[in-house]
Amino acid sequence: MIHLLEDTINGVLMGSIYGLAALGLTLIFGVLKVINFAHGSLLMVGMYAAYWAVLLTGVHPYLALVFVLPLMFAFGYLLQAVVIQPIFKAEREVREPITVIIVTTGVWYILDNLALLVFGPQYRNIQDNPLRGRMIEAGEMLISVPKLWGFCAAVATAALIWLFLQKTRMGRAVRATSLDRDAASLQGINPYKIYNIAFGLGTAVAGVAGVALVPFYNIFPTVGVLFDIKCFIIVVLGGLGSIGGALLGGMIIGVIESVGPQFMTATWTEAIVYGLFLGFLFLRPSGLFGVKYDW
Amino acid sequence: MNASTVTRQPASGRPVLLRWAPLLLLLAFAFALPLVVRSATYLHILILLLLYAYLTTSWNLVGGFAGVLPLGHAAFVGIGAYTSTVLSLQYGLSPWIGMILGGMISTIVGVLIGLPTFKMRGAYFALATIAFAEGLRVMVENLDRLGPFRLNGPRGLQIPPLEVGFGRLMFAEKEPYYYIILTMLVLAVGITWAVSRSKLGYCLAAGGEEPEAAQSLGINVARLKLIAMAISSFLTSLAGTFWAQFTLYIHPKSVMSLDISFEIAFIALIGGRGSIAGPLLGALLLRPVSDFSRIHFGDTLPGLHLVIFGVVLILVMLYQPRGLQEPLTRLYRRGMQRLFGTGEGG
Amino acid sequence: MRLLELHRVSKHFGGIRAVEDFSLEVQAGEIVGLIGPNGAGKSTLFNCVAGVFPPTSGEIVFQGKRIEGRKPWELCRLGIARTFQIVKPFASRTVLYNVTVGAFATTSRLAEAERRALAVLRTLHMEEKAHVRAANLTIADRKRLEIARALATRPRLLLLDEVMAGLRPTEVDEMVEVIRRLRDSGITFFVIEHIMRAVMALSDRIAVLHFGHKIAEGLPAEVARDDRVIKAYLGEDYGAA
Repeated sequence: MIHLLEDTINGVLMGSIYGLAALGLTLIFGVLKVINFAHGSLLMVGMYAAYWAVLLTGVHPYLALVFVLPLMFAFGYLLQAVVIQPIFKAEREVREPITVIIVTTGVWYILDNLALLVFGPQYRNIQDNPLRGRMIEAGEMLISVPKLWGFCAAVATAALIWLFLQKTRMGRAVRATSLDRDAASLQGINPYKIYNIAFGLGTAVAGVAGVALVPFYNIFPTVGVLFDIKCFIIVVLGGLGSIGGALLGGMIIGVIESVGPQFMTATWTEAIVYGLFLGFLFLRPSGLFGVKYDW
Repeated sequence: MNASTVTRQPASGRPVLLRWAPLLLLLAFAFALPLVVRSATYLHILILLLLYAYLTTSWNLVGGFAGVLPLGHAAFVGIGAYTSTVLSLQYGLSPWIGMILGGMISTIVGVLIGLPTFKMRGAYFALATIAFAEGLRVMVENLDRLGPFRLNGPRGLQIPPLEVGFGRLMFAEKEPYYYIILTMLVLAVGITWAVSRSKLGYCLAAGGEEPEAAQSLGINVARLKLIAMAISSFLTSLAGTFWAQFTLYIHPKSVMSLDISFEIAFIALIGGRGSIAGPLLGALLLRPVSDFSRIHFGDTLPGLHLVIFGVVLILVMLYQPRGLQEPLTRLYRRGMQRLFGTGEGG
Repeated sequence: MRLLELHRVSKHFGGIRAVEDFSLEVQAGEIVGLIGPNGAGKSTLFNCVAGVFPPTSGEIVFQGKRIEGRKPWELCRLGIARTFQIVKPFASRTVLYNVTVGAFATTSRLAEAERRALAVLRTLHMEEKAHVRAANLTIADRKRLEIARALATRPRLLLLDEVMAGLRPTEVDEMVEVIRRLRDSGITFFVIEHIMRAVMALSDRIAVLHFGHKIAEGLPAEVARDDRVIKAYLGEDYGAA
């Protein structure tokens, strides 16, 4: 029983980090209305960036954020401005520019395989860092410290994004663009600039997730694929475009993955997660929160 | 004036034979190739090229004509490979029969994926196909048996080369494999050609481009997409059986990995989705890159060809969104015009 | 003979009553115009008839059959075709391809579908443009292509959604001529139109929609004299100007 509780808590914590990763995806979708298939690869880039920052400078893993955050924002901003934007402009009249999905898939493949070329296939992790394997004892339960911090980061990031969208001028422009691109541009908002910013922010959030993962997670070139598919599942569970939904969806996946192995093999739980996803697609495609878009 | 003279313009001045001559020549060349290429390595590479041309042509029926983006076709390859292999290992069933049965299972599965997702945004379909293919791979990796059927989990299945012969779809040399996959490709291209000139093809293209307008013209778009998906998953599945019989060893990663799904989609997109020549051209251009990079840089620069694919894909999407077949067809037509001096444009 | 009947059709979106208790009869062989200021609910009503969404309440009867809630493709097979206000050509394809897709509604053979498509193009004087890509057409030709494609499905009733908008005066006159000719060949028209001159010249009868309610119905001349209609239009137009 106590194990079940322990697993549930650790599952919620780990799941919130999944949710944090999915947050970036849902943010980009909310504004651009396309699913960024390269999102997991961006997370992978964030993880490598954090890894090398820590390894080369020897700072505390979480301090890598100072370096990773602006780097990832700039990377996402440029990626949208240089690679994706021309397609948006060319297909302005298309309701759902499927070409954008294709291009982000291309980015996914380029990034993953570049990582393989540059860093090699081996698993890396930061061996001697103050967080690795740290546990808090709560009664008989052991709670992972880096996951706990990841949970805090997820909640804080979600809150900050919410504040940004609600309270700042720029945030309102982002929301306006998200609601109606054409109306927003009539108000003097340059929608393409907003797209750049939203993409930059989404990528930066993936960077935060990367930093949160690095102290305890293995880093390898295809780590993004794992998260990519999890993020897709999470945003469909939580409802595409919903911030709270991303966190909650992440936690659900986290709990299934962490409690599941008590009853079956770990890989079976993975299959169950996929099954859940397909089930949602069939029965409730708008997700838990029922965010209604025009599909 | 007769209506069909306007539309088909039977090559003003150019005899019908000449119109089909390049195609027939190409076909004759393809069938004669093994007489010249005696090296098993090169034949192997050619077989892979044809296999991917076949897979991509099958993909194109739904990914090209129906205007959606399937990214999990490896699932059907896997279903085809596993169905025929399990049935032949355990029950001695001819792989040819297993091939058809696998195709039928794939058809059902393909329709089940399309059923909820074709009514939604295209991204949902793309997501569902990825998730299904990955889910299936993970499941097979974890199953030693599925009911009475032995799957062997991640270790996969080995096909002992006991009985050689056409009935067992197993040969000592590579040539028979070459001719079988070439025939399959010709059939798949034929089906695509027939579809593109049929009500189904016209209505699919219409539904892919402007679903609302298509519906107002009496087209049940979601239903047609399901039909396209059914044909596509059936054909794709046949290649799985072929692949299993060619390599005589299958495991989840070799027949169901995401890389296969993506390579198929990339070849189609770069060559030109929705056209008949696109998948063939794509395979012709990209497969050699794959093989060359794997042979020469496989150890030093793994994944190089996939980086190249990605870059080429993005460039093509930016500058030739209808794929490389478009400028090349234009070039070909101009060349034919100069050669034969006919004024045909259509 | 009554071809289309609307009985107390209402459509609500949440709390918004876009169309309220709208009734109308369209006789076979008629051209009926539906006019009203912007936001009056014309398009909503049209979409209900065309099967884009079902009405919240009320009955829609076509040739004696209830059709509310049927899907667009089912309605097409029953003999109702439509055009779109914002034209939706299959832009990457030729004009002939576009119209052939429509013709496939009544035949399965390509040669026959193309033959019918060409016949339709000829009646609309578009046959020289048969091999032009739809993306390269002028706005007037795109509007004509919308009609051609719809005609190719061999409809009994054709719903036209602002086919005159964006046309030059001479092009409007041509379009009026085309629609009259088609009516004479036996097709019934239900038309949303903004260009007054065109709708007055074209329609046998006109219904006026204002804030979701029908405020007038009758001959063009009667409607033009109606006080409530004048108020609805002038009130809005002058206020906006």
